[in-house]
Amino acid sequence: MPAKSDPMICSQCGVEMNLHAEKLVEPTNAQEAARLDLALGGLIEEIYTCPECGKAHSRPLS
Amino acid sequence: MPADRPLFIPVILGTARQGRMSAHAARLMVQETGKQAAVQTELIDIATLPVGTGESWEAIRNTGFADKMDRADALILVTPEYNHGYPGLLKHILDSCLKEYIHKPVGIVAVSAGPFGGTRAIQNLLPVMRELGLVTIFWDVNFSHVQNFFDDAGNLKDESFRRPIGKFLKELIWMARTLRYGRENISLE
Repeated sequence: MPAKSDPMICSQCGVEMNLHAEKLVEPTNAQEAARLDLALGGLIEEIYTCPECGKAHSRPLS
Repeated sequence: MPADRPLFIPVILGTARQGRMSAHAARLMVQETGKQAAVQTELIDIATLPVGTGESWEAIRNTGFADKMDRADALILVTPEYNHGYPGLLKHILDSCLKEYIHKPVGIVAVSAGPFGGTRAIQNLLPVMRELGLVTIFWDVNFSHVQNFFDDAGNLKDESFRRPIGKFLKELIWMARTLRYGRENISLE
């Protein structure tokens, strides 16, 4: 797995979380709509899970 | 992944109507799920959840429900069939989360007073499950003529019905273990 330059760290365990999905989501406000990826028809949210506690986190694709 | 962490598989009772027969089905599913090794469960009754309204996604979000969805390794949805569909309140509650569902399996238990066992509610739920990032299993549990399944105290009258529930749970638990491993260990990159 290539190391990500900005890894997501679990706020509970302090370990690097696993990126296991990129989910297309619909914009829910004007700011998000301004970032819309026209080719994909939505916004990409990265989904991470902690390998220690199983907690999920997400953030917009950078 | 710590190997000793039990699976958490809550049962969501997806109707708030008074006199709902789905409550008997949901309690039976909690009972049967609780018998499985290394599995924890609990009933989440949507009738007890505060229903948020507002313009933003955050406005409808219930922290307690979201925390349980985050902790869950799989979901069991118990839904009645109303007018060939599932309850609108169930959709409203499900829509309050997203990241918490991704790559987690879901099994659907459907309830109807008629002969079709809620199959139309299940068919309508499938595309919603997919968009929420949940992974559907190929076993369902169907309560046709649900009024004949339980006595007045909510006890199952026909013990043979535990067999299809067992098949459903076996598949769901296998998927829960497999997808938990994937979420925690297999990178998308």
